[in-house]
Amino acid sequence: MNVDGDDYKPADEFSETNGYDEPQAEPLPPPDGRESVAPTALSPPPLPDSSTQTPAPVPQPKPHTPYRPNYKPTLMLSGHSRSISSVKFSPDGSMLASCAADKLVKLWDSETGDIIHTFEGHTEGVSDVAWSGNGDFLASASDDKTVRLWSMEDYAERKVLYGHTNFVFCVNFSPSSSLLASGGFDESVRVWDVSKGKTLKTLPAHSDPVTAVTFNHDGTLIASCSMDGLIRIWDTESGQCLKTLADDDNPICSHIKFTPNSVFILASTQDSTIRLWKAQTSKCVKTYTGHTNRTYCISTDFAPGHKHIVSGSEDMKVYIWDLQTREIVQVLEGHRDVVLAVASHPTRPMIASAAMEKDLTIRIWADEPLVGV
Amino acid sequence: MNRVLANTLTSPYPTTIQTSLESYALNVRYDPSGRFLAAGRQDGVAVIWDLDTKGQVRWLDGHVKMITSVDWSQNSRYVLTASKDWNVIIWDLASESEYPRRKATVRFDVPVVSASFHPKNSQILLVLTSFELWIVDLRSEYKGQYELVEVFDDSDEEGGSHRARNGFAAARFDPSGKHVFVGTTSGTLLVFNTRTKTMIARHKISGAGIIRGLVFHPSGRRLVTNSSDRVLRQLNLPVYAPPTADNEYIEQELEPTHRFHDPISKVAWHNMSYSPDGEWLAGGAADDAAHKIYIWDLAREGLLASTLDGGRELLTDVHWHPNKPSIASTTNLGSIFIWHCPTEERWGAFAGGFEEVDENIEYEEREDEFDIEDEAEIARRKMLEEEEDVDIDGVVESVTNGAADLIRQNGEDDEDALWALDDPDDDVKGWKLKVISEDDDMM
Repeated sequence: MNVDGDDYKPADEFSETNGYDEPQAEPLPPPDGRESVAPTALSPPPLPDSSTQTPAPVPQPKPHTPYRPNYKPTLMLSGHSRSISSVKFSPDGSMLASCAADKLVKLWDSETGDIIHTFEGHTEGVSDVAWSGNGDFLASASDDKTVRLWSMEDYAERKVLYGHTNFVFCVNFSPSSSLLASGGFDESVRVWDVSKGKTLKTLPAHSDPVTAVTFNHDGTLIASCSMDGLIRIWDTESGQCLKTLADDDNPICSHIKFTPNSVFILASTQDSTIRLWKAQTSKCVKTYTGHTNRTYCISTDFAPGHKHIVSGSEDMKVYIWDLQTREIVQVLEGHRDVVLAVASHPTRPMIASAAMEKDLTIRIWADEPLVGV
Repeated sequence: MNRVLANTLTSPYPTTIQTSLESYALNVRYDPSGRFLAAGRQDGVAVIWDLDTKGQVRWLDGHVKMITSVDWSQNSRYVLTASKDWNVIIWDLASESEYPRRKATVRFDVPVVSASFHPKNSQILLVLTSFELWIVDLRSEYKGQYELVEVFDDSDEEGGSHRARNGFAAARFDPSGKHVFVGTTSGTLLVFNTRTKTMIARHKISGAGIIRGLVFHPSGRRLVTNSSDRVLRQLNLPVYAPPTADNEYIEQELEPTHRFHDPISKVAWHNMSYSPDGEWLAGGAADDAAHKIYIWDLAREGLLASTLDGGRELLTDVHWHPNKPSIASTTNLGSIFIWHCPTEERWGAFAGGFEEVDENIEYEEREDEFDIEDEAEIARRKMLEEEEDVDIDGVVESVTNGAADLIRQNGEDDEDALWALDDPDDDVKGWKLKVISEDDDMM
């Protein structure tokens, strides 16, 4: 279980630092009912709150006035020389990792935007990066058919994982960090032993390149999706396929992510749609549209606070939807090319986005709630 | 979590060996999360196995003779090993090395038979040596080693010389940690209060002989004894009153609710273990020709449900996984067998929207199944359906530790419980074992 008490501690710190940065923005004493929505959406509520919140909606049908975030650009990080394919915040939120077609993985300070380190080693472009649950390792997946493990202690290359027979496209750690799953253009998913650097299992996953692979919150399930349009759920221990989710039209599936409680899977497909699937019933419970996604594998994430969905788009913007009402609540403009990667800060209302060749920047956006409107 | 999706009925107990781990191990314990296995070896080393990767992740190298028992703290940070070299060692797995440092070493003047952590506080230990039973308190306020001694009625003074002291053969905390249960060489079960260290009950178990093993039901209301008459007895425990000032104790005979034994081969037992829901009991047979685990169904009058046959390597220990139908058993040749119940691969799972059926069934078409509907209408209905709120944060399932949760809720606030929670250890929830990557040149 990742969603534990300590994860939420920095949220309080945020409200302090926010108050410090923006003395006029005092999210604490809400002047009226509408405003009171803001702080909860802003900073994730402490754990007991969220549990009391869930039974609450039953008695009173609450009026849907979705909290509209007000993300503003705060930082612009330049350094990559070719399309940026992925950005990820570290588990404690202090760092941001990025990777690009220029064969490099870069590590940035998410506070100041300073570059901390550049990892060199891949001989082809890098498609994905992932943090281990405790922040000890960074894994990167590359077109050179390897996954590389980088140690955060000394920024050294710790392991090179050989096994994929074609480009590696996606990578993710298990919650315990002892396992790593990767998928690629050889249409398979590989499960690795992190400490030994050896393949434990190869799943004959798909009939087209695997575009995303991820573990659920307790590590018992692996989900993978592919350009064949299918989402498959696997049992981690046995490697058996438990379920396949497929839309009737079979659009290319470009990214998936489990919800924090692993009940749903958020999937983006190249018919410019993002769907929320309930894994158990194989039903699509929400659809989010409005952005453009026809060509690239664009990543999607739950925005900070878990009340919004955030995604990149081929129209050079970043879209934010309300999770429940499916309305677009904010569109972030500024990038000058397709936004391939987005990532949410684990504890603070911050989003990172990165774009392709003509732009080459990583932008950090922070939510600055409007006061008294 | 995967149980929710795999909608096949699986057996509640394991049926076949999934893996054999080569470990020279004599005894094994799952950690409370079920992710690790601690194995005590003949050569005095204890090894921590990661069951995710089936790899050895930590080496606890400190004893010079055989390890007699291993135990885990409640959040798996500390491991307690007892050895024939007279030492008890607490290991801290939070140290950043494959060879964790020790948090404490407690030395005795005789070989140690077993040692266990207090279920609520890993700074309180129960240590059984060849001759005595000790509660070792490492907390600064209560620091000390306290011997637990059996008391006799003053009335039968004359018998005092020949029954001076019953030997202790087995000792365990109950799951609440409030009491210590002791099996003696004369077939009695003694109960001590952990806080006051006074004896509060003596139960005669008729016909038992030497009681050399005790295992608690997850609820803490029952236990199973293993005794020299080769019978496992399940006993219901009475509710014990808080200890009185004048150190009174109750003398009571307990009648077993179930007796488990093999009427034909009359096999003795090495160890036994309850399933996490307490509905099944596994007994490891001291068979001298085969590796056998008996599984009894407690919901059905203790009927023998299955006998697991693990081949020719003889069994030495058995332990049930804390939340799955899985068992770990060790052999005299040092292997650890992981038993599981295999699920058949459902090929239908590879196709979206298909369901496998066991037999052919005649499909009955619904009245409106092939009706042509207005697409706009369908889209509208879909939009309406999607209006419903979804909960993406709340965790839906709780682990199957129902029985154990129950006792945790009960009586958390009495004096005994508060005493144990005082000066808590740093074995905090959510702690994670660091993954150490092996150097490439080691391979």
